[in-house]
Amino acid sequence: MSQVSSSDTVRLWRETRHLLWTTLPASLWIIIFLILPSLYLVSMAFMTNGAYGQPQLPLSLDAFRQLAGFGFLGWSPGNLYTLLRSLWQTVLSTAMVVVLAYPLAYYITTCREKLRPIMLLAVVVPSWTNQVIRAFGWMNLLAPDTWLSDVAAELGFIPEHLGLFPSAFAVTLGLIYNFLPFMVLPLYAAFEKLDVSLVEAARDLYASPVRAFFAAVFPQTLPGLLAGIVLVAIPAFGMYVIPELLGGGRSMMIGNLVAAQFAEGSNWPLGAAGSILMLIATLVGIVLLRRLGRRFGGGEEVVI
Amino acid sequence: MSARGIRRPLAVLWWVVMVFLYLPLGVVVLYSFNSVNSAANFAHFSLRWYHRLFNNPQIIDAFWHSILLALISSVIAVLLGTLIGYGMYRHRGRRRLGWIIALIYLPIVMPDIVFGISEMTFFVRFNQLTGLLSPGLGTMIIAHVTFEIPFVALILYSRFVGMDPTLFDASRDLYAGPVKRTCHFIIPAIKPALISAFFLSFTLSIDDFVISFFTSGPESTTLPIYIWGAIRKGVSPEINAIATLMIGAVAVAALLSLALSWRRSSQRQ
Repeated sequence: MSQVSSSDTVRLWRETRHLLWTTLPASLWIIIFLILPSLYLVSMAFMTNGAYGQPQLPLSLDAFRQLAGFGFLGWSPGNLYTLLRSLWQTVLSTAMVVVLAYPLAYYITTCREKLRPIMLLAVVVPSWTNQVIRAFGWMNLLAPDTWLSDVAAELGFIPEHLGLFPSAFAVTLGLIYNFLPFMVLPLYAAFEKLDVSLVEAARDLYASPVRAFFAAVFPQTLPGLLAGIVLVAIPAFGMYVIPELLGGGRSMMIGNLVAAQFAEGSNWPLGAAGSILMLIATLVGIVLLRRLGRRFGGGEEVVI
Repeated sequence: MSARGIRRPLAVLWWVVMVFLYLPLGVVVLYSFNSVNSAANFAHFSLRWYHRLFNNPQIIDAFWHSILLALISSVIAVLLGTLIGYGMYRHRGRRRLGWIIALIYLPIVMPDIVFGISEMTFFVRFNQLTGLLSPGLGTMIIAHVTFEIPFVALILYSRFVGMDPTLFDASRDLYAGPVKRTCHFIIPAIKPALISAFFLSFTLSIDDFVISFFTSGPESTTLPIYIWGAIRKGVSPEINAIATLMIGAVAVAALLSLALSWRRSSQRQ
């Protein structure tokens, strides 16, 4: 008896040792170089802003008050607008991406099997180029006096000789451009697995095409759709490069607000408070979409 | 409305989206051959921006920094990520693994701007306290390894799960020691996963801008950071040319992956 339990102890000890030396190096790396820095950043939000933007004692909630818009000159809605703009841009661009990606993913599944990998590749390849370059491409296209801007001016959308960028419109366009592939891929995976017999059954029961779609197709693609929304909406909310290059000062999003506080002579505690807000938003987004994913029977599809 | 009936509008949508996706890149390529520095009109064909590009030591430096950063960080990330991927595989089913999985997902889900800024503030403070880790290639390598580890770990983990578990037992039954088992059995068995993890890390590193931007020092500019600076200052007409070369590299990679997938599918048949 004691023999067995002692060999059990040895095995347990071996297992634990194995677990430790395999998982500890990478875990420690992430703890030291990501968790600690994040905690340091979070702690900064509870400090006071020094003369050079550096965080210092005493502890205070000033940064959060400032984030809510309370400054030396009373309350101003600037930060609130930035937050609402981030939310609006996220919702708008995600919705547009869904509208484009859904039929596109379906179309790919209706094409010849040999063609499909090429088509998917064609959708994904632009996102392999650096996002700074892609934004720069749009800057070129939307600049004043380019043919796109000329057409827009001709149609009366913008004044003559003014570009389509910088503008909130350019940011939305940039976001759609950036995130389209992230929606097409999970939706394509959902369409590829689609059980067509259910659609045929619905048609046999004289369901109208629209009804058959909502009864037999849409529920089957919902897990893919939710996975796509996770992959698009969460990073879109925290986007920095696109609003910075295509947006201009009045189309700033929360990421730009945060980054600006860490530039020379700004306000690190305020930036840290903004980071906390972004972390909370990310967390809420993930939890919410995971819940939805589980409820609609696609829990494991939502990767994150 | 039959399936045939909606295929036509869908095909139109497909081509519209293709134009949408490739137009901005096409414009960059086109204007890199422009003889004048203007986004509004194309004068005539010229290679002058390429000529300037290859005579700009800053750009050449930035290129080598990008490559060096991607190489070193990928090697470290593959080592650490493979180890933890193996650990996760061998001890899967244990309850305590939950926190490791949460840890692994953290770098993926954290907004990159928050990631970059927390690294930056941490390194700045660390440098003030100890004089070590001043912003530069070193800090960038650390940051890149941090966001590459999860991808390596997940690729390797799924490779281990996909392997026949009896192979592990067989190698042990043949009295192979841990070192022999690792060299003659585990590493050859996971080689494809190691290679794809390395390439993914390399690509992620080359592609990253935000995290690099906040952790770099004045001497460690990478290509995306150089391009960013040039765009912001609005002074460098070579940007189109560098960008075109980078797009060209991506196009080559795309063709290679297409050729690979074709070979794979023809082998299967």
